[in-house]
Amino acid sequence: MTKNFKTLPVYILLSVLSLPLVIMYAYLVIDTFTVTTPGSLVPGPFTLHNWRFLWEPAKPGQASIWAATLNTFLFAGGTMLIVLMTSATAGYALSRLRMPMRSFMLAGLIMLHAFPTVTLIISVFLILQIIGLYDTLIGVILVRAALDLPLGVWIMKGFYDNVPWEIEMAGVQDGASRFTVWWRLILPQIQPGLAALGIFSFLQAWSEFILPQVLAPGANAQVLSVYMQAVVKSETQMDFTLFKTIGLFYTLPVVVIYLIFNKKLMNIYGGGTKG
Amino acid sequence: MRILIDNFTKTFGTTTVIRDMTLDIESGEMLALLGPSGCGKSTTLFAVCGIHRMNGGRLLFGDRDVTTVSSQDRNVGVVFQNYALYPHMNVFENISFPLKIRKESKADIDAKVREMAKLVHIEDLMERKPAQLSGGQQQRVALARALIRKPDVLLLDEPLANLDAKLRLEMRSEIRRIQQETGITAILVTHDQVEAMSMCDRIAIMNKGQIVQLSSPSEMYNEPASAFVAGFMGNPPISFLDGTVEGSSLRLDQSSIVLPLPESSRPASPASRVKLGVRPEYFQPENPDKVEGKISFIEIQGRETLYDVTLENGAVLRSIQSSGPLHKLGDTVRWGVDHSRVLAFDESGARL
Amino acid sequence: MRRSHLLGLGFMTPAILLTLALFIIPVVLTGVFSFTNMSTSTGITGGAYEINPRSIRLMKDAGLREGLIGDLEENLYKIDAAGLAQVEKDFGKKLAEEMKGAYDGQTFKDRRELVRAIKDLKSRPRSSRDLNKAADLFQKSILNVRYDDESAFLNGLGNLGITLQDGEQAELTRFAYTGWVWTTENFSNMAAMPSTYRAAFNTVLYIAFTLTFNIVFGVFLAVATFYLPSAAASTFRTIWFLPRILPHVLYVILWKWFTWDTGFLSQVLEPFGVAPRNWMMDTEINAWVSIVLINGFVGASLGMILFSSAIKAIPSSMLYASEVDGASRLQQVRYIILPQLRWPIMFTSIYQTLSLLTSFDYIYLATDGGPGSSTTVWALYAFKTALNNYGGNLQYGFGAALALVLVGIGILASVLYLRLFDFKSMNAAPRIEQ
Ligand SMILES: Nc1ncnc2c1ncn2[C@@H]1O[C@H](COP(=O)(O)OP(=O)(O)OP(=O)(O)O)[C@@H](O)[C@H]1O
Ligand SMILES: [Mg+2]
Repeated sequence: MTKNFKTLPVYILLSVLSLPLVIMYAYLVIDTFTVTTPGSLVPGPFTLHNWRFLWEPAKPGQASIWAATLNTFLFAGGTMLIVLMTSATAGYALSRLRMPMRSFMLAGLIMLHAFPTVTLIISVFLILQIIGLYDTLIGVILVRAALDLPLGVWIMKGFYDNVPWEIEMAGVQDGASRFTVWWRLILPQIQPGLAALGIFSFLQAWSEFILPQVLAPGANAQVLSVYMQAVVKSETQMDFTLFKTIGLFYTLPVVVIYLIFNKKLMNIYGGGTKG
Repeated sequence: MRILIDNFTKTFGTTTVIRDMTLDIESGEMLALLGPSGCGKSTTLFAVCGIHRMNGGRLLFGDRDVTTVSSQDRNVGVVFQNYALYPHMNVFENISFPLKIRKESKADIDAKVREMAKLVHIEDLMERKPAQLSGGQQQRVALARALIRKPDVLLLDEPLANLDAKLRLEMRSEIRRIQQETGITAILVTHDQVEAMSMCDRIAIMNKGQIVQLSSPSEMYNEPASAFVAGFMGNPPISFLDGTVEGSSLRLDQSSIVLPLPESSRPASPASRVKLGVRPEYFQPENPDKVEGKISFIEIQGRETLYDVTLENGAVLRSIQSSGPLHKLGDTVRWGVDHSRVLAFDESGARL
Repeated sequence: MRRSHLLGLGFMTPAILLTLALFIIPVVLTGVFSFTNMSTSTGITGGAYEINPRSIRLMKDAGLREGLIGDLEENLYKIDAAGLAQVEKDFGKKLAEEMKGAYDGQTFKDRRELVRAIKDLKSRPRSSRDLNKAADLFQKSILNVRYDDESAFLNGLGNLGITLQDGEQAELTRFAYTGWVWTTENFSNMAAMPSTYRAAFNTVLYIAFTLTFNIVFGVFLAVATFYLPSAAASTFRTIWFLPRILPHVLYVILWKWFTWDTGFLSQVLEPFGVAPRNWMMDTEINAWVSIVLINGFVGASLGMILFSSAIKAIPSSMLYASEVDGASRLQQVRYIILPQLRWPIMFTSIYQTLSLLTSFDYIYLATDGGPGSSTTVWALYAFKTALNNYGGNLQYGFGAALALVLVGIGILASVLYLRLFDFKSMNAAPRIEQ
């Protein structure tokens, strides 16, 4: 809109400010596929040599990248499922059902929504140690899901709030139980919300570092972020090309998912600002 | 099926919205609940269908007390103002949903849906999603869905409010036809008195959570029980003149105009305050009891012309005349009131 | 109880359980742990009683009686049934019986003394190696012996003939106890340590700069992309949104590549005569700029998205009208757009203040709080104290005390945050009364 204003200065300013990011993205891709000479920014010839960690056996003491990839999928997927299931039900209950202590739960939800969660990591660490879920995927999945939950319930409640009451009333009049109404009539209406929340929590968990690093650092439960950090720590020289290649491999799924689903994902933002 | 709402009271938190309301609807009757916005029409409807619980009173369907029966078990069909069709289902699935919930056989469902579709004239739309339907078509689907499981009672909450004027006329008679063909007891909620009069056997006028009058449309129009009802019925609306009783006549406030009181009404005590209601069709040039005033507004409605006449004390009388516009704005006219058709009310608004 | 109550509570149950287990209980336990001295060495479950070199050192530091400490360090040799049984197994019945007859119940101060005593016996072993071995079977020491409870520990002391003077027992068991104990020391330590104040100062600095950057940049991005055609706008938005979803580890690696001495900046500047250096860690200022940029480039995108949708919600007639009135672009931004952003800016500020207060992963990955501890914010300080310290002894209790401060601030801020919402209308009763 507003064609009346010149856009050139805006372009220039935005481009200059975006330059560092663009350079980083560009060299992230370029360096992993070319021979890099130290001290030179000019890309060398094409090579797949940097990607050898994918097919070479893991170095002693390091987990295999494929195991870490599988773990990351389990971690992100598990988190997503738990967040979706618990948010879809709790969001509905808070939006639509009469129940005891409803307003207490609503207030608690808003407060938890803003509550800074990382502060809890120390006691969560100790709790997992005590109940024996330390260094297991299931433990870190549960923690990640619990931390995502307030946002998830909040978002889902927002979507439920926007479904007309009349649809629900019509369902009840048609003889359906509240559960059937939810399952057959209301859930189909909030699919955009489920999609957005699912993508969001998947991406969030996929990129997560601190939680798995602290709660599940062992080789069996290692996810890609912990794997990558271990590689970074174990190299005496900063071999940026290696790091970037692992990083590109690690980040590829999120970028693909983002590029495909970004419209859907954006539904999530805005849910938070409704007051 | 006869519906009896007996001493119904409804409160939200601390505010009582409806107090001790009693309403008896005969079997096969179509009753209009008419009233201004916020008077409690929807609340009553929700109580009948079980979405709201009653805080006091009873609800009987026939002889069955359904006061505490859940919506699902009441067998009431509802058509909502925005139709509330299930957006992710096509027309067939929408209509058949109540039957599916009842786990009827596929063949039964198919047959019943076809039959119902024929009744409401939507046989060709079965594969469409609600978003691909016009307002009138959505309305028919909603009606079909409400009727498919042969409910004892049909409730319609402002079913025509979202339609354009032409469709509204068409659906009015459609709904009435379907109601009569099925013989179902129906309650229609509306705040359009024309709708209420043209569609229903009886009208219940509500105000502030109370039923103020329950009668047939013509009686409601001709013999309103109060100034409120008189003001509510009729379009263009009735005009009111305030005055004080002098013998068998009424002297209008701050003026020399004296009008005879209608003979049919109870005698008013001397010197008491009375409000006269004059419908536009009974303020005409040829009537005997002349009143002088200035034309302050003219609305040409095509077949008829509506005049507002401002009297010397500032009160306004409305007149509707079938002849073309013979007068200009600002003309002084002397038209007469048909005092046999004038309605008199006391200070509290009750009919004399 | 009505049916919908049951359904509602059933629907809430998974969420409630999960929040309870991993949200509410941790909050409470953070408080509990902060009043303990839990650490790697105390363990987190109960402890045992043991005198070991560390407790000896602590006792010496605390000035316990020299004689007692000497006794504890001493190796004693005591002839008892268990030792004799072992002798019978290793050296034959004869020696065992002879020793029992001669020395049963006696105590020897060191091995030499016992060996000399054994030498007096007829059936003594021949080699001195065997003699030593036999003597060792009677060696008794309290050192490094774990006792599960206090009475067993005191029993052990008594068996060795270590006598305690008045009042020493309590002190000794305290030093011998290896588990954690209740204490308020964490808080007094916190108040006394200069690193606490440094961390607090850093946190304020970090929040102030990063938040300002986030908001200003978020507004700028939202407004700038608003004036661009949609293809260009969405390209720029994607560029700026990606940091938000990139894995944190990779994102920070990219910054390191950009700023370190073998990285991009140094290589670009080299031809201009600027010596390569680590632009991220070179000085405190550099480290701070890096931290703010690294966090800000991620944080700005949240503002960008929220503000963009707020700007989109402005009726376009309003914008056209202002253009017709001859407003310049800056005037349009100043008088039409910015006023519309007031609420989103307030919301974003509070929300981000809270998350900045406790986020430390980018700092941890980028500068690790350095150089020195110049970029160590409170959350990182707590994290390092409790979960990631190079000394090896993780101080869970102290870390929890540090975290408790943040938890307290978090709870206060969440209450404020709740005030921002129109809670009454949100709390309106559901319309189906079943
Ligand atoms: N859930 C509720 N909580 C509190 N008050 C309510 C609630 N629902 C309705 N009311 C109040 O009850 C009164 C009657 O409302 P109702 O919806 O029945 O009016 P109505 O006659 O249907 O009006 P309209 O023609 O505008 O639909 C109104 O004053 C309304 O504010
Ligand atoms: Mg209504």
